[in-house]
Amino acid sequence: MPNDFEAAALTGTSEEDISLLDILDHVLNAGVVIHGSLVLSLAGVDLVYVGLNVVLTSVETALRTLAADQTKGKLR
Amino acid sequence: MNKVLAYCAYLRHPGTSLPSSGVNGAALQEITHGELGVLYSQVEWPFDYPALQRNAVEFHRVVSHMFGQGAVAPFRLLSVFDDLQALADFLSAHHAGFVADLQRLQNVVQMECVLYFAPRAEQKPSGKEYLQRKADLLQQAEELVQSIGTALQGISKEIRVKESKNGGRIFVLVERGHEKIFRSIVQELPVPERFARRLSGPWPAAEFLSDSVKMPQIAGQR
Repeated sequence: MPNDFEAAALTGTSEEDISLLDILDHVLNAGVVIHGSLVLSLAGVDLVYVGLNVVLTSVETALRTLAADQTKGKLR
Repeated sequence: MNKVLAYCAYLRHPGTSLPSSGVNGAALQEITHGELGVLYSQVEWPFDYPALQRNAVEFHRVVSHMFGQGAVAPFRLLSVFDDLQALADFLSAHHAGFVADLQRLQNVVQMECVLYFAPRAEQKPSGKEYLQRKADLLQQAEELVQSIGTALQGISKEIRVKESKNGGRIFVLVERGHEKIFRSIVQELPVPERFARRLSGPWPAAEFLSDSVKMPQIAGQR
């Protein structure tokens, strides 16, 4: 049984829905970063390094687009 | 290759419930150091890039489950340890910092307000016009952040702001249970024309972790 926080995050039952983009942004971009481990992992797997950067860039861009779309929707 | 994926650190209490599974259905395990606990899974590394969204949601579900019961210090999804001993060494070295942060953040959550400049479809401005417009927008964004800070004085424990080229992101620490008050206060504030506002939360107070916890130095690694 999900608690309130999970329910809000996964089903959008809070007043302002938490989107997949919000989740991606937070799990990839906020919190404790194990710098040493990350560097070691990345050194052996360049694909992840590239992917990580692409994802982070995409999230920032997508959040901006989402906000712009919402504004347009309100103006219609 | 197997790695140890850490989800979040938390203060252990009797009766704390743990989620049933982790990323990719991996078993969830708990490593402890005194009152400090960290949830982790042994995972195949690296993740498949196409599955990253699903992994992110599963990771978030684990962290949210723990966050629903108290403060957590979330790890970033792509931070992994080489093995369990590395995680144990890490906990041993940073135990005090985590405990201090988790105690400080025990009854609070992080709410967010993202302000974006919503561009109009119009003729491209000249370089001078663009710079002037940008300066005006930054000024407006700064004033808006100040007004939000003032309006939230009664309920905010701390406010942090990150500027971006198109606006700013405001992180507000509020007591658990005050999320609705935060929303109603911020929703009622007028936003200048051409700005969009987006609220989210509650989130773990990741932006308010101390630097030594957020970006710990790991002995023997570069």
